[in-house]
Amino acid sequence: MKQLFPIFFLFITTPLMAEVKSEFSGNVEVQARHSINNDEAKEAPLLQEWNQEQFYLAYGNINGKFDFGNSRFETNVFGRYSQSNLYQDQTPSPNYIAPQIFSFPNRLVAREVAKLSQQDEGDNYRSEMILNKMYYEWSYEEHRFMFGRIYINYGGGEIFNPINPFNQPTGLTSISQVAQGNDGLNFTFYKSDNHTINFYFLGDKSLQGYEGQIDKTLWAHGEFQFSEKLQFDYVIGEDQRRHKVGGQARYSLSESMIFLQTLYQTAYTDDLNEVESHHLWDLMLGYDQQITNKWHLRAEGGHQKKNKFASLTSINDRFLPTEYFIAIANQYEIHPLVKLGGTIINDVKTGFTYFITRNTYSFAKSSEVEIFAYLPMAKGSDIENQAQKLVTTDVGLALRTFF
Amino acid sequence: MFKQFKTKNLFFCAALGINAQNADEWSKYAEKQMRGDRSQSKIEMTIKTPNWERTLEIDSDVEGKNLALSTITSPAKEKGIRTLRIDNNMWNYFPKLKRKVAVSSSMLLASWMGSDFTNDDILKASSMAEDYQHKFLPNKKLNGKDYRVIENMAKTNAKVMWPKIVTYASPTDCLPRQYHYFDKENKLKRVLTMDEIKNFDGHKVPSFWTMQPQDDFKKKTTIKYKTMSFKTKFESQHFTQKNLTDY
Repeated sequence: MKQLFPIFFLFITTPLMAEVKSEFSGNVEVQARHSINNDEAKEAPLLQEWNQEQFYLAYGNINGKFDFGNSRFETNVFGRYSQSNLYQDQTPSPNYIAPQIFSFPNRLVAREVAKLSQQDEGDNYRSEMILNKMYYEWSYEEHRFMFGRIYINYGGGEIFNPINPFNQPTGLTSISQVAQGNDGLNFTFYKSDNHTINFYFLGDKSLQGYEGQIDKTLWAHGEFQFSEKLQFDYVIGEDQRRHKVGGQARYSLSESMIFLQTLYQTAYTDDLNEVESHHLWDLMLGYDQQITNKWHLRAEGGHQKKNKFASLTSINDRFLPTEYFIAIANQYEIHPLVKLGGTIINDVKTGFTYFITRNTYSFAKSSEVEIFAYLPMAKGSDIENQAQKLVTTDVGLALRTFF
Repeated sequence: MFKQFKTKNLFFCAALGINAQNADEWSKYAEKQMRGDRSQSKIEMTIKTPNWERTLEIDSDVEGKNLALSTITSPAKEKGIRTLRIDNNMWNYFPKLKRKVAVSSSMLLASWMGSDFTNDDILKASSMAEDYQHKFLPNKKLNGKDYRVIENMAKTNAKVMWPKIVTYASPTDCLPRQYHYFDKENKLKRVLTMDEIKNFDGHKVPSFWTMQPQDDFKKKTTIKYKTMSFKTKFESQHFTQKNLTDY
């Protein structure tokens, strides 16, 4: 926590020091969820031996932005408190995984060098406060330079977005007002109206448990508008000891949009700590259409190669518990204040099917209440895919307000 | 005699002079007054139903027909959300998450923030003067007032949301007071009423608009132009990806 004091001091005193335009904003959300476990998760090797539990979550952001000349300093404090009997110690069996799923993304910093966070755990609760965004930006003509902890948010996938490993999509999760930070620097070159190139140099200590060396990320992402209808994104670089290359093509039809993403990752580029690995590749095809002025449709389908060396008890990276999948998401506005949303996901290989509904009602000036449900519809036939057994049946209520 | 003059559809409109008998000229004049070559406006939008109302404040910058940038400035929930349109490409930007999202052109018909206006209305993607063919219909009296009526039919190659719009224009200042929007089945879907003519930088502009959907008379959306400037010179980088993400 001591690390945070100088930052808070800077946060508060910066507006006093110069001709600064400052702006503060934020949000607070509380959630209550009733969860029913999947019987198959109780068996070995998962040993998730619980039946029904309540899960309570409160989280929020306070964002401060200070503009002076061509420069900007911006920071975001994210706080989260969750309470449930599922946090109770279960030694020697593995920790319950459900709280990790309910509060995904668990890691608020995807590439982390400095631990700017405070965490506390008790018998039935977990709390954390973290600076997940804190950067200095300098902008001049067609260049932008950022240094610090930055959000990296690109790619058209809302459910699966493999070309961006620095911010996991939250289209399926119950937490929406959050993005992951990344420690390092970013240089953006707006080469022309049609072509923007981003270079990233990031560091990460988390890959080897924060004790070893800093793993480096050297990454380039470009956006190229080839024609009025066709846009390409390309990514290439080294990240978390893998070489990665991929891209996205987006084509606008007269009343819709289709996009295709792919990413190839080599096995680990060294054998440090003799960690086993193999190559990975992902493919995603997406479709997006505003069918009427109230009804929006999004479909995403694809493949993510299963990492056979990934830990079952850690849901840090990807939320999607499928290998081959089709997801169809509809959102319908039945009233200016009421939006109904439903997403169905099917693993075409195993038959596993999962339905999520999120329905929001807006009230007051900047508040809304959401009723959500996560419902496994069909069990997967592939016993190898343990992650699908971890999907619980949940209903919940969220209340969020913005300021 | 004047009555006879009117019944022959020969309204005299001083602003148009000898062009008053040309429907294209009425449309061009209205667009020149209300849109100009470029404009910068502060807009207050209120969505109303019998039980509640919600107000949003928007900064709207428009350059010609192809460039537009809108920024929501209030309330807190939506503050900072920006939409950039360059030709037929559109992007939304959510500054709190630093997320830029490309949106399909079909989103132009999407309801804008739950209102009865669409993205097309806010981003002024279509031009009544350029994208439609115009012809006079017989004059009509609405609520005791006489109107010049112009039928605007979409040109075959025009990328517009509405195949037919009927304009009800004031014979005194030649400016539209109502637009009636028809769908492909020639069904009236919504009516835009424009009142309170104000002078902004020498342009006469109706400053209070009411959009009434025809399938739900309990609900409507109003727009109030708080300020509007036609003399603003936008910087060369104003309608760019960089500026979009610089909020």
